[in-house]
Amino acid sequence: MSRSILRTIAIPLAAVVFGLLIGVVLILSQNASPATAYTALVVGGLGDADALLRTLQKATPLIFGGLAVAVAFKAGMFNIGGQGQLLVGAVFAAAVGFGIDGLPMVIHLPAALVAGAIAGAIWGGIAGALKATTGAHEVIVTIMLNFVAGNLTDWLSANPWKDNSGNNIVARTPLVEDSATIPTLGAVPVGFLLAVVVAVACWLVLERTTYGFEVRSVGHNRNAAQYSGIKVGWIMASTMAVAGMLAGLGGAVESLGVDGRFEAGVNVGLGFEGITIALLARANPLGVIPAALLVGLMEAGASRMQFKAGVAPELIDVIQALILFFVAAPIIIRWVLRMREDNSEQLRLGAGWGQS
Amino acid sequence: MAPKRRHLLALLMVLGLVTAAACSSDGGGGISGGYSIGLVTDTGKVDDKSFNQSAWEGAQDGAANIPASATASYIETEESKDYANNIQLFVDDGAKIIVTVGFGLGEATIEAAKANPDVMFIGVDQWQNEALPNLAGLMFPEANAGFMAGALAGMLTETNIVGAVLGTDLVPPVVFFKEGWENGARYTNPGVQTISTYHPGGLDVAFGDPEWGATTARQALDQGADIIFGAGGATGNGALIEVAGEAGALCVGVDTDQWFTVPEAHPCLVTSAMKLIDVGVAELISQAYAGTMQGGNYFGEVGLAPHHDFDSIVTDEMRDTLAEVMAGLADGSINPMPG
Repeated sequence: MSRSILRTIAIPLAAVVFGLLIGVVLILSQNASPATAYTALVVGGLGDADALLRTLQKATPLIFGGLAVAVAFKAGMFNIGGQGQLLVGAVFAAAVGFGIDGLPMVIHLPAALVAGAIAGAIWGGIAGALKATTGAHEVIVTIMLNFVAGNLTDWLSANPWKDNSGNNIVARTPLVEDSATIPTLGAVPVGFLLAVVVAVACWLVLERTTYGFEVRSVGHNRNAAQYSGIKVGWIMASTMAVAGMLAGLGGAVESLGVDGRFEAGVNVGLGFEGITIALLARANPLGVIPAALLVGLMEAGASRMQFKAGVAPELIDVIQALILFFVAAPIIIRWVLRMREDNSEQLRLGAGWGQS
Repeated sequence: MAPKRRHLLALLMVLGLVTAAACSSDGGGGISGGYSIGLVTDTGKVDDKSFNQSAWEGAQDGAANIPASATASYIETEESKDYANNIQLFVDDGAKIIVTVGFGLGEATIEAAKANPDVMFIGVDQWQNEALPNLAGLMFPEANAGFMAGALAGMLTETNIVGAVLGTDLVPPVVFFKEGWENGARYTNPGVQTISTYHPGGLDVAFGDPEWGATTARQALDQGADIIFGAGGATGNGALIEVAGEAGALCVGVDTDQWFTVPEAHPCLVTSAMKLIDVGVAELISQAYAGTMQGGNYFGEVGLAPHHDFDSIVTDEMRDTLAEVMAGLADGSINPMPG
């Protein structure tokens, strides 16, 4: 058991180490001290309660975004639409959050979260339904829907739901009511706890239920699943809806717990980072948690690293890309570490292509 | 030795080498000690050839002007969610003066100024509704800059039609640029016709739409305009580049000397209506150091950029008129936005 876990995490772990080592070379090439830089990175992400809070806040949408990609992977689909699903989730959660007044928190906060989840589910579900009924490729459709979501949320926050307080000219909604604001327990945002619970739930559903078995069957071999009586179309459509719901929840938590409102342009890129997280976690819902924490830590500490060591903050992006590179091309790591090919579940990125 | 071992050994050696390198090199270590000045950029870089860069140059000049040995350092903001944290890093490090660049940091700067009354804050392009004693918003009389550019355009136009392609009228400075431009053109050329168009979109797209800028500039050219003012970020730049493709037409840039920011516009760029952010930041830093900085809004200087390739078409007569206009704006005898 422990051996197999070790083998599963060996590649991502080695990828992180390799990425950081190449980062050392890059830091040296900027005439900065790697020891100072990495120390500042860790202190900036874990050094005190504020730093820990920042790391957990950054990790939260990454967990949701990572799950949105990982769950779709399990059904053999590549969800590039996390960004759009997250945006609609964020704006609708904010709308319920500021638009309704006088509800107690036990009703208002869940209602706002559900609004974000439903909006995301619809956004993901569109791509899934089109895939199931017409064969339209989910990669293309989700990319297109990202643009639609971006413009829709810009318009909503600039027109009907615009914050008209003071001299505001920015496209943003008013602040959400206190009764819809996700609280923080010490240094731990409740949204992060929610993300962890959702990740565990995803794992349970995928690994321990009939539905999860059907999803994985479709992912392994769509034709075999069809022959064995699984409703492939339904599984694909519903999985994409679930994936969208997860990203939408991520957006909702961002609006209700971090930003306090929806603001156009503020959440750009969060959904795309989910792809990094899912790959780093090798599409395992539980693996998404440490992967998101690692990336969240690096992003939370990047400012301090820049400040203390004079290293350009883009270094973090480069290290992330390197880690991803090593995860996606594990043959390099296997060669260096002389590892045997593992026979555990393979992440097949190409599974979605060439099938209709 | 088995091949497996050999690879592991090689890896360990690399690791050791890198760790040794990591530990031996010292340096960095922040800016602690001495009189320190911090600058937080908007989500941009200190070498963006625009706002952030001008402010950073101003901060360095300001530090150099302080009699005590002062150091300036910056943090480039990656995500707008990090504004407050990045300001706090300088506060925690004991910075005496903190410059924040751009409208977007306005709220975070006000909060930080309230929480840290001993630190002086300078907010570039941040209008202050209520004056805090330790926060100066560096604003610019854009109408004056627009007026000067318009005055030059009024003298240069041969068709007696001048055009302006503008970001949204939601942003007051853009309106000031436009009104100043039109009034300046009329000041030197009472018979001039003006074609000015605002981008119809919201704040999130109005400054990032070069295609619209190009199309709108083309329309103005087709209607006979022979000199066009592009004021609105990438949207305005799109207009400049479109005009550059039209033989004989001229264009005017905005904010900084756009000769350096939009090289594609060299064939038409006769000047730029500049806000002298670097001068303003350096001046406020000197004031903050001397303890004379006033809270509230501080108006910096504006000016026209050099004419570069078009230096020869700007006659001495025109230069004299421009000098008069500048003097008039400075002493208040010319009002760039009457009514």
